[in-house]
Amino acid sequence: MSPAGFPSTPPGPGPVAPFSLPAVHASRLDSGLEVRVVGRDGVPVVTALLVLDAGESTVARGEAGLAELTGSALHGGTARRSAVELACALEDMGARLGTGTYWDATEVWLTCTADRFPRALRLLSEVVLTPGFPREEVERTRERQLGGIRERRAFPAQLANAAAARFFFREGATYGRPMAGVEETVAGLERAQAADFAARRYRPRGAALVVAGDVSKAGVTDLCAECFGGWRGTAAPVEATAGARFGERRTVIIHRPGAVQSVLRIGHASVARATPDYFPMMVLNEVLGGDITSRLDLNLREDKGFTYGVRSRFVLRRSGGMFRIAAAVATEVTAAAVREVLAETERLVADGPTAAEVRDARDHLAGIFPLSMETTSGIAIRIAWAFVHGLPADYLARYRERVRAVEVEDVARAAVRRLHPDALTIVVAGDADRVAPELEALGPVEVHDDF
Amino acid sequence: MISIPCEEHSLDNGLRIVLSPEPSVPIVAVNLWYDVGSRNEGPGQTGLAHLFEHMMFQGSRHVAGKQHFELLKRVGGWANATTWFDRTNYFETLPSHHLELALWLEADRMGWMLPALTAEKLEIERDVVKNERRQRLDNQPYGDSEERLLAMIYPPGHPYRHSVIGSMEDIDGFTLADLESFYRAYYAPDNAVLTLCGGFDSARALDWIERYFGGIPPGTGSREIPGDADAERENPTSPHQTVEADVPLARVYVAMRLPTFDDPAFPTADVASGILGKGRASRLHRSLTLDRGIAKHVGTYVDPRMTGASMMGVWATGNMGVEGRELEAAIAEEIDGLRAVAEKEVARAVAMAETAILRQLEVAARRADRLSMFATHFRDPTRLSGEIDRLRAVTPEAVEALVDARLGPENRAVLTYVPRASA
Repeated sequence: MSPAGFPSTPPGPGPVAPFSLPAVHASRLDSGLEVRVVGRDGVPVVTALLVLDAGESTVARGEAGLAELTGSALHGGTARRSAVELACALEDMGARLGTGTYWDATEVWLTCTADRFPRALRLLSEVVLTPGFPREEVERTRERQLGGIRERRAFPAQLANAAAARFFFREGATYGRPMAGVEETVAGLERAQAADFAARRYRPRGAALVVAGDVSKAGVTDLCAECFGGWRGTAAPVEATAGARFGERRTVIIHRPGAVQSVLRIGHASVARATPDYFPMMVLNEVLGGDITSRLDLNLREDKGFTYGVRSRFVLRRSGGMFRIAAAVATEVTAAAVREVLAETERLVADGPTAAEVRDARDHLAGIFPLSMETTSGIAIRIAWAFVHGLPADYLARYRERVRAVEVEDVARAAVRRLHPDALTIVVAGDADRVAPELEALGPVEVHDDF
Repeated sequence: MISIPCEEHSLDNGLRIVLSPEPSVPIVAVNLWYDVGSRNEGPGQTGLAHLFEHMMFQGSRHVAGKQHFELLKRVGGWANATTWFDRTNYFETLPSHHLELALWLEADRMGWMLPALTAEKLEIERDVVKNERRQRLDNQPYGDSEERLLAMIYPPGHPYRHSVIGSMEDIDGFTLADLESFYRAYYAPDNAVLTLCGGFDSARALDWIERYFGGIPPGTGSREIPGDADAERENPTSPHQTVEADVPLARVYVAMRLPTFDDPAFPTADVASGILGKGRASRLHRSLTLDRGIAKHVGTYVDPRMTGASMMGVWATGNMGVEGRELEAAIAEEIDGLRAVAEKEVARAVAMAETAILRQLEVAARRADRLSMFATHFRDPTRLSGEIDRLRAVTPEAVEALVDARLGPENRAVLTYVPRASA
């Protein structure tokens, strides 16, 4: 029995706490490098994030994996410092420098305490502007990358992701490749190719540097000019071949004998990030499989216990994208789970979402936005990727307003335009002997023993 | 160095409260620690604390199943919970004007979860948890490594000997009665700490907390920890295990027991782990990855434990064709080598740890979680501000002494994964 005075319905909100986007101080160096500075007090840390127009999509097929190799090999040292000297110089200050490779960009990031930031940023510029690429370090880096490629098959989620990319796009499409490349290409990459890639792609025009944290705007703008002022050049635009494949629905099983779960990736190619449907698509995804309490999760997890969780996502890049539903389900319920995923997708396209679903999804996306800006790295990532995708300067400032403007009809229309239940490719990384017979009832099945 | 506002309060029913108000912040983190974890599970009960955590999201007297997430999501919040050896934490971050909603939700399930508990919900959540286990452990290369290492370094009967997720067999066996008695013993205000961090007014928040949590009675039932948490000095009895797996690269784990978190030597272990394997200037990275080129990846971790021995893990994945014994020998050499460390290396490890701590503290939910931890286990949330000082006091001599006392060859358990011949 709950005591008197305990309300039986949830309490409503108090007066709204206003959230204002942190002020972004934008400038451009003579070299063309875009600089964004966001001052923020509180915890004395600073994050710097440099995004370079050096994504894997700028790499020719025969050199697949070169963007990743080059980014990782930045740790191999600079013209002045060996790998170990560089690591010590950074880590003696407690600074962490990392690189990340994506289809649309290479990231070089730095986090350190505010008092050490000027010295650490000088090191970041030394790394990017004067990489050493010592032969031995590049070769060691390549060996580790090859190890990762060989390991991919053992990790079912990675395997399923690679298979999804391969089968959602046409043979030969840029986005159908694994981002870190394949053994045949990576094994042949040499030091000279990494050095050449950096020389062509690590250029200020086309790049942006975002600094967020406990810094003074004026001081940091001067510091950026000092560190990156002498850098010159342009990263020439390269068009990726998106290569969407829209055919009949089909099932591709990547055979993993004895697997106790099937890792599912169900989806198809999709549009580029610049699509005008972006906000309706985000709300649509929220309704279908964005999070816990989405239609897919309520059905597969909460109602049936088929999985620990199922999520859907539009992954949208410069030249195209993909829609992908992901879940790991118990082997014995594989076909049943796939059937539910197909039925939920079909139902959303046919009937559209309800007004309540759209309201809740919209409120969630708009309401959670301030949380994504809580940390210096969260702020830097948001701003840097808005730049990478060529979004307008007021994009973040207007984000919540634009989410809230999405109506039920917009989402229903996006479902029809952007979800294609008949063209879904169903990738299953699991035990083909156990799951194939039932999956055959859903359409043609191909089994790959060696993917 | 770090100054985090912190007020302590308590209710008559024993609920302890930590408030860390920062009025200018538009969000608030709510964090609730229950002083219960997998260490409280006896034989046949492994995984009960974690399964119970799942059931806490399946509704309570005034909250329908799924509504917990739905209500929080709608207002722009997110929520989750985790179970670990020594505790179970529940948390949500949301726009600060919705704080009252989060307090109401947490109070309803602390006080009146049983009226909503049904056999049907248990069956579904049992399947969800079994799928969680498959996804994290059984269908994952190296996924069973932690479970194996725990059983290697903690003796039979030790409360840390089994994994938090528990065995399939035990998960299959739980009944509603198990959940009910677990709830009555542990899910009670006198076994919990509630922390708020972010934008709120303390007086207002305390009124709400008194209103929602004040009427919940203290728990009933034994909270004795089964087994013997002090049985930590015994060295591993089967210090070597080799597992054939469908992996292309060999991997070696070395595990050793450490003092509890509260022991003065614990920060020393943290620093030793940093010198050994955190960052590109660490000894393992320099030696195995750069100089010898035998490892694809190396790492170390220290898992703090409150009730008995903590654990240090060291691991390395070999490059193609490198054998486990070569990795093992190289790791052993580097651990032995910690008997001589330079002042500069200690300073570097401390600087790296400092940045990592500050990065965590950027997030209100993490600040709240750390305050809850210190309040739960040490009845003193203000200890959070001393964390960095505790690390700064570590000396090279302390590291060397720790290696002698805790990290010698006789203290190590070694788990090796070798690629199956057919893989």
